[in-house]
Amino acid sequence: MLFKRILNVGFALIMISAVLLGCSPAAEEPGEIEEIQEVVIGVYEPMTGAQAAGGVQTMQGVDLAYAQKDEVLGVPVRMVLVDNRGDKAESATAMTRLIEQENAIAVVGSYGSSNSMAGGEVSEAAGVPVMGCSPTNPLVTEGKEYYFRACFIDPFQGRVMAKYATEQGIEKVAIIQNISQDYSVGLAAFFKQSWIDLTGSEEGIVSETSYQDGDQDFTAQLSDIGDAQAIFAPGYYGDAALLMKQAREMGFTGLFMGTDAWEAPELVDIAGDAAEGAVFSSHYSAEAATTPASAPFVEAFQAEYGEAPSAMAALGYDAYMLVIDAIERAGSFDRDDIRDAMAATENFEGVTGYITINETGDAVKDAVVLEVRDGAFKYLSTVSP
Amino acid sequence: MKLKRNTILTFIALLVIVVLLFFAEKSLNPYYRRILNLCAIYSIFSVTFNLIFGYTGQFSLGHAGFAAIGAYVAALLTLSPAQKAVNFFLKPIISPLANVELPFLLALIVGGLITAILSMLIAWPALRLHGDYLAIATLGFSEIIRSLMVNMQSLTNGALGLKGIPGYTNLFWSWGCLAVCVFIIKRLVDSSYGRAISAVRDDEVAAEALGVNLFKHKMMAFGVSSFFVGVAGGLMANLISTIDPKVFLFTLTYQIVGVTVMGGMGSLTGSVISASLYTIFLEALRPLESQFTIGSLTVPGIPGMRMVIFSVLLLLVILFSRKGLMGNNEFSWDGLFRLFNRLRSKKGDGSTGGDEA
Repeated sequence: MLFKRILNVGFALIMISAVLLGCSPAAEEPGEIEEIQEVVIGVYEPMTGAQAAGGVQTMQGVDLAYAQKDEVLGVPVRMVLVDNRGDKAESATAMTRLIEQENAIAVVGSYGSSNSMAGGEVSEAAGVPVMGCSPTNPLVTEGKEYYFRACFIDPFQGRVMAKYATEQGIEKVAIIQNISQDYSVGLAAFFKQSWIDLTGSEEGIVSETSYQDGDQDFTAQLSDIGDAQAIFAPGYYGDAALLMKQAREMGFTGLFMGTDAWEAPELVDIAGDAAEGAVFSSHYSAEAATTPASAPFVEAFQAEYGEAPSAMAALGYDAYMLVIDAIERAGSFDRDDIRDAMAATENFEGVTGYITINETGDAVKDAVVLEVRDGAFKYLSTVSP
Repeated sequence: MKLKRNTILTFIALLVIVVLLFFAEKSLNPYYRRILNLCAIYSIFSVTFNLIFGYTGQFSLGHAGFAAIGAYVAALLTLSPAQKAVNFFLKPIISPLANVELPFLLALIVGGLITAILSMLIAWPALRLHGDYLAIATLGFSEIIRSLMVNMQSLTNGALGLKGIPGYTNLFWSWGCLAVCVFIIKRLVDSSYGRAISAVRDDEVAAEALGVNLFKHKMMAFGVSSFFVGVAGGLMANLISTIDPKVFLFTLTYQIVGVTVMGGMGSLTGSVISASLYTIFLEALRPLESQFTIGSLTVPGIPGMRMVIFSVLLLLVILFSRKGLMGNNEFSWDGLFRLFNRLRSKKGDGSTGGDEA
């Protein structure tokens, strides 16, 4: 009994001391007079949890960029990674930690628009510039002075695919969206909007159906598609693969169209032959080196990780480099100066293309259309904004 | 005489806490403030779960869904009309809601009330079930609520979520709500209703034979509990200022259950302590994930490390203190003095009493 008490009290003491220890390294204020020893660039990404795969891919790119460029304006950079677990509350806390504890002058992240939206509210209030790598939801930068991104946004992606479909002479299309993913809902809406703009009427859209996270059976949605020549399914690769398989089994012979979330080897692993010929838009293709920076990046990435870089990794690389570029052009470590420099980014030579930041803080750049051919993703065409 | 001493002590302690909160709100950096706010919100979740499970014995897993209702109501009522227009860019919001903007207090209360009403509607059929069946039914209802939120785009903006919710939540709001919540639940538990509730937990048949209206008491506990869950949801929405249905996945319920069990079933003090420790620890263990050096040994940063350590700590609690940190003891001044006396006389005979500083 006494032993247990002592253990309890001892345990409580350990807990309290751990808390105090964790709090003790106070953030140093950058003094005006003393020399700046280092600058901190914060990164917040989902390294654990449901979105960990995307976060880890992104970090491959960011790590590579950091290894290549760990100094800015002659001052060493210290990169601090904070895990946000793909959770909104945690993303907001992670951003606060980067700003208040680590004193980050700029932040990179995060995979997953909902994480970025939570972090964005904090960075906006604190006036810290953030460069998003792959959050494509338009709401992320909407009304934000300090949030930018290296990727294009969903409306553009929706337009790319609508344009592709009309160019291929497709007259009837069915939309199947994942209603529990903001990403999918947004893309479906933008695709429809662009379709109406391009064809002048809603008639070509034969059906609009939804499914939810975790659904495995898409036969109900597929039986609604009628005589559609193509299916636009802006969901994640897992859903898309099952959907394609079931559609082929039901005798659908038309075209599958998707978006950047399809770009994962699992798409072909699960769907097999059903995926052949499917097309989707993406940020980047290692095949079609769009800028002089692309080829060396692909090479360095191969050497480091032994695989071709994913779009997420490329965007992570670009986001970090965009921050460094902004600091260099600003010529100072002042957060507002960096923000202004970021906003003024023009024709930055990124590995995913030439990046110009527009007035809403979004990157204006080319998208690529990829096709599944012989079980691999092949470059098809480039679409400019 | 003795009662008077305790009253004075309580009064002084409250005063000290208010002063501390005041200073924290004024001068603490936003990072610590945010953690303290989350402590209070998770404490409310945990205390309310304790009322349903620890005191009433109804294993309900609907907390995440109820929190979602409170959060969405509070968010929709505090969002400015301009922000609503920005948020609902795919499908416009239904007309009467588009121009409503209420003060925070009112929004929280309305959020709490709507949560209480809806949860009681759910509890009405569900409370006929017992044990695991009730757990499954409430878990299902919680997921239904979330699913409805995903699909009712013109009311909740669906999966896109809401952003730009004004950040009204500060330490006074969160800790104030926690204080009110703990006070009311404590008074309820100590009243004759509370005795009846405990009787229901211990033996439903015996309680009914003694004339306790099972249904009424269960419903009451459910209603009070959900009201505060709704309020806590509202506080959470206005703290992180953006919500979407995925915030309220069933994993949130599991977190709450875990925290409550760790604190001790039937101990409000335990719930608050364990919820606070949980929140603080998640952040305090962060340095473990970045590269650090012990002596000449450099440990590389491994993401997810703090979760591992955290699980080990949880295991230790389960191993050495099976009834949770506090068992079913509450903090009391008498208990504290007893602890001091015992420590002074170094007898350590292990008699009962609330402890843990």
